[in-house]
Amino acid sequence: MAVISSAEDSFLADDFLRQLMGVGEVDLLVGIPSQNNATTISRAVEMIEKAFQQSFPRDRVVILNVDGGSRDFTSETFLSAMLSKNSNSRGLTSLRTIHRITTICSNAPSQGGAFRTMLAAADLLRAKACAVISPVASNLTPACISALLYPAARENFDYVAPLYRRHRFDGLLARHLLYPMSRAIFGKGIRELHSEEFGFSCRLGSHCLNQNGWRDEAVQFSPETWMALGAISSDFRCCQTFLGQKAHPVMSSGTDIVAAVRGNVAALFSCIESQQVVWMERTGSEPVPTIGSDHDLTSEPVRVNRKRMLEMFRSGVSGLTTILETILEPGTHAEIQRIAALDDRRVTFAAEIWVRTLYEFAAAYHHSVLNRDHLIQALVPLYRGRIYSFLLEHHDSSPEEIEADTESLCLEFEHQRPYLLERWKARE
Amino acid sequence: MQQLDYLQELGINALWLMPFFPSPLRDDGYDISDYTAIHHHYGSLENFKTFLNAAHDRGIRIIIELVLNHTSDQHPWFKEARSSRENPKRDWYVWSETDTRYREASIIFLDTETSNWAWDPISKSYYWHRFFSHQPDLNYDNPAVFDAMWGVMKFWLDIGVDGFRLDAIPFLVERDGTRCENLPETHAIVREFRRRLDEAYSNKMLLAEANLWPADVSSYFGAGDEFHMAFHFPLMPRVFMAVQLEDRKPIIEIMEQTPHIPAACQWCIFLRNHDELTLATVTDMERDYMYDEYATDATMRLNLGIRRRLAPMMDNDRRRVQLLNVLLMSMPGTPIIYYGDEIGMGDNVYLRDRNGVRTPMQWNGGWNAGFSGADPERLYSPVISNPVYGYQAINVESQKRSPHSLLSWMKRLIEIRKSSRVFSRGSIEFLQPSNHRVLAYVRESGEEKILVVNNLSASSQAVELNLQRYKGTVPIEMAARNLFPRIGDLPYLMTMGPYQSFAFRLRRL
Amino acid sequence: MKDMIIRGLQQAYENMVHMMAEFLPRLVVMLIIGLVGLLIAFALKYLLRAILHLTRLDRLSEESGASRILRHAALPSITELLSRSLFWLTWLGFILVGISVLRIAGLQEQISHLFQLLPQVLIAILILFVGLLAGNFFSRAALLTAVNAGYRSPQLWSGSIRFVIWILAISMALEQIGLARQTVITAFSIVFGALMLALAIAFGLGGQELARQTLERYFGEKKNEREKEQEPSPL
Repeated sequence: MAVISSAEDSFLADDFLRQLMGVGEVDLLVGIPSQNNATTISRAVEMIEKAFQQSFPRDRVVILNVDGGSRDFTSETFLSAMLSKNSNSRGLTSLRTIHRITTICSNAPSQGGAFRTMLAAADLLRAKACAVISPVASNLTPACISALLYPAARENFDYVAPLYRRHRFDGLLARHLLYPMSRAIFGKGIRELHSEEFGFSCRLGSHCLNQNGWRDEAVQFSPETWMALGAISSDFRCCQTFLGQKAHPVMSSGTDIVAAVRGNVAALFSCIESQQVVWMERTGSEPVPTIGSDHDLTSEPVRVNRKRMLEMFRSGVSGLTTILETILEPGTHAEIQRIAALDDRRVTFAAEIWVRTLYEFAAAYHHSVLNRDHLIQALVPLYRGRIYSFLLEHHDSSPEEIEADTESLCLEFEHQRPYLLERWKARE
Repeated sequence: MQQLDYLQELGINALWLMPFFPSPLRDDGYDISDYTAIHHHYGSLENFKTFLNAAHDRGIRIIIELVLNHTSDQHPWFKEARSSRENPKRDWYVWSETDTRYREASIIFLDTETSNWAWDPISKSYYWHRFFSHQPDLNYDNPAVFDAMWGVMKFWLDIGVDGFRLDAIPFLVERDGTRCENLPETHAIVREFRRRLDEAYSNKMLLAEANLWPADVSSYFGAGDEFHMAFHFPLMPRVFMAVQLEDRKPIIEIMEQTPHIPAACQWCIFLRNHDELTLATVTDMERDYMYDEYATDATMRLNLGIRRRLAPMMDNDRRRVQLLNVLLMSMPGTPIIYYGDEIGMGDNVYLRDRNGVRTPMQWNGGWNAGFSGADPERLYSPVISNPVYGYQAINVESQKRSPHSLLSWMKRLIEIRKSSRVFSRGSIEFLQPSNHRVLAYVRESGEEKILVVNNLSASSQAVELNLQRYKGTVPIEMAARNLFPRIGDLPYLMTMGPYQSFAFRLRRL
Repeated sequence: MKDMIIRGLQQAYENMVHMMAEFLPRLVVMLIIGLVGLLIAFALKYLLRAILHLTRLDRLSEESGASRILRHAALPSITELLSRSLFWLTWLGFILVGISVLRIAGLQEQISHLFQLLPQVLIAILILFVGLLAGNFFSRAALLTAVNAGYRSPQLWSGSIRFVIWILAISMALEQIGLARQTVITAFSIVFGALMLALAIAFGLGGQELARQTLERYFGEKKNEREKEQEPSPL
């Protein structure tokens, strides 16, 4: 049982506690964080209730909406969403009451605040298995939700990560940084460390709730990544389950990339920092069990603005010289500058230098050579460079070739792991 | 008859007798071979009249069974009908050259019958039976059958019985292309019975046994011109479900589906009876749940139901037994207590068919549990004798001696029930507190209001009830008449122990 | 005459001896105060150093970039700097107290004045230091934001912010020690106001096109404007 803070500084409103009291102990909890999602949340509720009826008809269940202060009556829509009744069952729906409770997280509208509320609710309700669902995921089906809950509810897994069918150029931060680096360091490869849909057990939830880092920016921006990293770095049983097509735009704006890097890489580095005792003892990596199909890549044509990425890489390398000097070893910095100076068609940000760069960043993060958020932001142009190089090289590659490239990158991370250890201990 | 005093003391005001007619007893008397006599095992007609008068003297009305749908194959009518195809009574039953008619009709006794047609080797044709093959269905398309059965009813009404429980009423009429249930012709027959009854007698009652969904059962009330009462079958399994799930949802859902009935009509509600706990009016999911929770052993399952008594189903948990009885006594309808449940009798699932719940009444810890002075081997059924539910442990005599026994508690509960007409005639409004483990409702009739709150779970619960409508009233607990805090603007907080119930009279003082 | 001279000399000698007799004890007291002050200053220095080691101030200083500035200025680490400053301040304080014991005319007043000015000077130094750090921090943040957002001339943004913060800090420091207070405030207001006006005019008149593009980039979500900026989704 986690220790929830005292009444004076509790982050759970009285009204919410009253709702929890009405629900009582549950077996399953599904959380939906929302912010102005009135047009899509009804569908999410419907899918969840169908999942409960089809796969968990006898379990005690609750759907929890943590709203960040919507102005379009998202919470009201959530509560009033009607479940379409099965015409063969004489209007009778589920065996048990399916509770829906909602709370507003307005004093901490960040994702971290909403997630913490969900963990606290799950802990107070003693939910055996939980899942977090995005209110806007249009591809979500009852089977997907069941797939996220089932491993934790019935098969003793602690963390259930999703696997998707994605475009080959989608999710490159995960493919080039989060996945291979976390796999090399912690020994377990979760492909989708950052996901808006995932499942977890009460054991993992309580563990995360008891952590002290809730005010860290990494947790506030990317609590799901933080939880996933917590799971793979500790003794929690992890698995991955296939959910089908990832429903989100393959392309995004530049601001998404900065926010994604700041949140997720910070979470990763923070976890590496806090779990150093654990990962230093580990070697190699083990596969994480996969339930259902494995992930999949599609290759329909898509327009990518490579030129802009290259420009931003170059401007970053030149504009952040003083900062990069502080972070990187002279040889690595020089190599990056050399890459930036290459002709457009010849820019190659090889795996070896990319891995070395990331490990030096991680070590610099550990040694706090400068403000940590600034350090993470300094990585963004280099990431762009790496992606530019990847897109140039693999413009016409098949999904299999891209997958082989990813595996090769993972091995490079594992191969250079001793270098990370060396940099880690260098300035101590 | 010697036990009428006990029944009077218990507080009941009507007694429903299972069939006592002459019968081969292959279906506990529901296979009748003579409608106007008493089986010699039970006594004579004179004995019955004496019993009837004694019951009336104690304010207890007598309702008897009347099986309209079928007779025993030993009934003289059937013997005549089958003797030859030209016999005048041939058409009193439903015959066919083949067994292919009425294919849409389901088989009710699935565990024993494979068809609704049986071959008669005497008349070399098939006869129709919705129940056991030794219970051929009467043919109500023949007016003579109707007249004969009306004659039977008149016979007993003239003796003085107060009402009839009409068994298997939906199946009276068959038609091709239908399920042979609930046909308009059946309702027409019932209306005619009712018309003749109202014309010739007063204060008599017809009770329908129709195991159907509430909306379908309510048709048997007609416009107040068919049955006076009907069993609310779908509610009963849901009460058991709700307690096991610790969730009021099954009860609320079925009550929301229960339509209004004519003002002069009434539901009959019950927890258990002589038949299996029927699961015909539940969904497949609910049925599976009930089997898994209450009939883990396959021997407990029979004909889409569960053949167990109340106490064993509640694992002999006195609190749960009491909770269910509170629900029985406080929900809308006339409650029926199955004999023996008032003392927590057990069952014997190793007896065939439904006989496991029809064991002899346990009056005392002596010879045959006080049921009979005959040799035990001659009893129609062995007495329950295991250490938990056996007659030495569970019997009327020992429970009478203790004010804290289940029997004593039941007497007090029945008193509370009888203390207010609200329970029988009042409306019901379900409160829907956020705690789904608490079932709370207000019964209201005129100015009188009663709040009933039930904790369906095995753990203590806190619940906030929205009683603003009753602001200013004082809840007075009905068992001990203790005062509770006045209802104000804020939600009324109650804390309840496991399986605890409260009934409050809401008085404005 | 000879007697007068001898008497005069005797008198002078006696006065001098008398003055010396009065001065020397005070001198000894001053030296003792100074010595005690030295010992106390050393003790405080080591105590502060130990406390600052425990609070890991050096790490915070590294993170904020203050250590780098100190290194560039050939100054020791912040822990060392603060503990040494405390040492000197303490000892100086005792020395001043000792000097006041000498009761040299006119000196008392100056010492008193110095004591009154000392806190303001310390605060001014603190303001400058914080201003230095803040300028460094925010300019770096601006640089990173500008680079990652693809702005032109990110160093200009970064430098401007550092300049503004430093000017503000210097003005506040000078105002704190009361040096040409009115002049400084007025000068700062004029410079800052002029800077803002210049930027407004430049942006409003000269940068209409740029303003339009900037606004469209932020608020015009769909179609062609977005396509120009599309990069693969990272997650």
